[in-house]
Amino acid sequence: MPIEPISDLTLDQLDRDGAIREALDGVSSRAGFLGKAFVGSAALLGTLAAPRRAGAASPSDNAILNFALTLEYLQAAFYTETQRLGAIGAELARVPRQLGGVERAHVAALQDVLGRAAVKRPRFDFKGTTEDQVEFLRTAVAFEDLGAAAYKGQATRVDSPALLAAAVAIHSVEARHAAWMRYLAGFTPAGRAFDEGKPEFEVRRIVASTRFIVARPRTTRRRRPRFTG
Amino acid sequence: MANDLRIDVFDPAAPCEPELYESRANVLKRAFAAGGAIVAGGVLVAGLPRSAASAPSPAQDAEILNLVLLLEHMEADFFAEASVRAKLTGELLEFAEIVRGQERAHVAFLRDALGRKARKRPSFDFGEATQNPTAFSAAAVALQDLMVTAYNGQAANLTKGALEAAAKIVSVEARHAGWIRAITEKNPAPEPTDSPRTAAQVTAAVNKTRFLKSD
Amino acid sequence: MIVASGAVGDSGSPQAPGALEAPALPPSPDPALTVPTPTPIRRGATSTWAPVRRTVLARARPEPDADAVARLETRTPEGTSNIVIVFGRRRDAAGRLWVQVRLPVLPNDRTAWVPRRALGGYEVVRTRLVVDLGALTATLLRDRRPVFRADIGVGQAAWPTPTGEFYIRNRLTNYDSAFYGPLAFGTSARSAVLTDWPDGGFVGIHGTNQPGLLPGRVSHGCIRMRNEDILELGRLMPIGTPVTVR
Repeated sequence: MPIEPISDLTLDQLDRDGAIREALDGVSSRAGFLGKAFVGSAALLGTLAAPRRAGAASPSDNAILNFALTLEYLQAAFYTETQRLGAIGAELARVPRQLGGVERAHVAALQDVLGRAAVKRPRFDFKGTTEDQVEFLRTAVAFEDLGAAAYKGQATRVDSPALLAAAVAIHSVEARHAAWMRYLAGFTPAGRAFDEGKPEFEVRRIVASTRFIVARPRTTRRRRPRFTG
Repeated sequence: MANDLRIDVFDPAAPCEPELYESRANVLKRAFAAGGAIVAGGVLVAGLPRSAASAPSPAQDAEILNLVLLLEHMEADFFAEASVRAKLTGELLEFAEIVRGQERAHVAFLRDALGRKARKRPSFDFGEATQNPTAFSAAAVALQDLMVTAYNGQAANLTKGALEAAAKIVSVEARHAGWIRAITEKNPAPEPTDSPRTAAQVTAAVNKTRFLKSD
Repeated sequence: MIVASGAVGDSGSPQAPGALEAPALPPSPDPALTVPTPTPIRRGATSTWAPVRRTVLARARPEPDADAVARLETRTPEGTSNIVIVFGRRRDAAGRLWVQVRLPVLPNDRTAWVPRRALGGYEVVRTRLVVDLGALTATLLRDRRPVFRADIGVGQAAWPTPTGEFYIRNRLTNYDSAFYGPLAFGTSARSAVLTDWPDGGFVGIHGTNQPGLLPGRVSHGCIRMRNEDILELGRLMPIGTPVTVR
């Protein structure tokens, strides 16, 4: 008999494992997001009180937000897993802790503004890059450079000035991260005077080439058990 | 170029105010910490409500690009002077030399984009900030953070063409910010977002440094 | 554009160095996104599992020529993705990454090493199921705190439920069998006695059409609970949850 039942509002519609996993991670649960301790501004309280919208503004802006959300999911999951596994050296331990916190906060913000229109968190296989210091840094450099390039590639496509203001404020943080990771990895933090953006199709192609986003393993089946009974 | 600048550490005719005897690097840091002070002869320069007159336009682009051009001039001159006078070595020297070149490229780009509308080249006096590694580092951190928030504050005001170019520049400024903070063992990215500064806040911060001799 | 009295601290001083006049530009709009303060991950009693991506020999040590302990398949007898619990890693002399995993093989409660590349992506769970054969209870812990408890039926003396460390491998639903109730979980535990049982003799956790027998030592090794309990457990317990049977 249940001692502490969890909310089961939409569990029947969602993938059970996914919903439970998200709630436990604290990465992307909307119920968890609403409960987080960032009390404060009137604007924020207004957001919390407003009925959940199915997205921000134009369909085009929604698509851009979901594109950004996918990249933030990728980064957040990468750093979170690295921190959990604890396999990289102690002197770098602060990196996944801090960057994971920031990318998870970016995820929360994008999910909140998208509401029901938010894409679901994908499943990831980081193929050992979260388990080795050198591989971690190289992958972090690539992710942060790519994230910054993706935001630049979208900047002129954003319809809403308020969304643009939010996007540039995140973009420069990704560029800081990129410089920091390059510094730690021994690469030059700023290789050129002007950073080019990348269009969405190219960013997606690069992400696909990593094969980090994977299908959900099928662990549930409609089938009669043949256990020992 | 360093030989264009007159280097006066103190103005002997100034009254005895403690601020004038502080290193300019400290003044700069305090200016940025204070943020939204008011300038221009004590007149409150409030942010204007967005109206048709202040929607993106080529004329407004020119105002904005001239504002950031002044910041880029300040950086280019600051790094040029520091790389020869601040007794920098190792990572700091490498940083200053690379950033010097990149800021010069930003100046050249903006002057070219503005053409005849480009502002007159300003002159600066960096005082102690370009004299030793410690003062240099503090000023560099503050300047880079200012650059990022200045560009971010104007992004929504730019036309699409200017925005595209500005994004390529602010990205590099943010890298510089992360880089100098990493070198000086500060957190390269202490906040989850880089909040924008208004033009008034940027101007106030510039004025508080007292680096600007004439614009 | 020099303004005569713009500098801070001016109180009758001679003309300050050039002071900039702020251009009349609109402020930035309120951002459409509110980014909350970053929060740390919740530490807790987590366990990590991964699917088996390709058939592989699990070895006694993280070396390519170490003794093979078992063969890991990509599918379970029920046709679901085979999964293992992962709890350690090491590089071999050639720099290949190996991970230490819990095996679904006999004898029970064994671990071995496989190349990282043989497994898929990691998933983390915060739950653990504790099966107490003495008290005849199953308790689900989340972050070490109990969130569910049920009376259970376990193996009779001739067909004991094995003790040790196991994990939930799969979930079966929508079958028509009152004997197993509405929902069944497959575990990595295998009957040490019923070694010829079809599909390997794995121990399951499932419902029952004989709730009156619970709690009790009634089964061939499986863990039975009332149907409303197994349904509740189904809402609370993700795949990959470690199972301690004692």
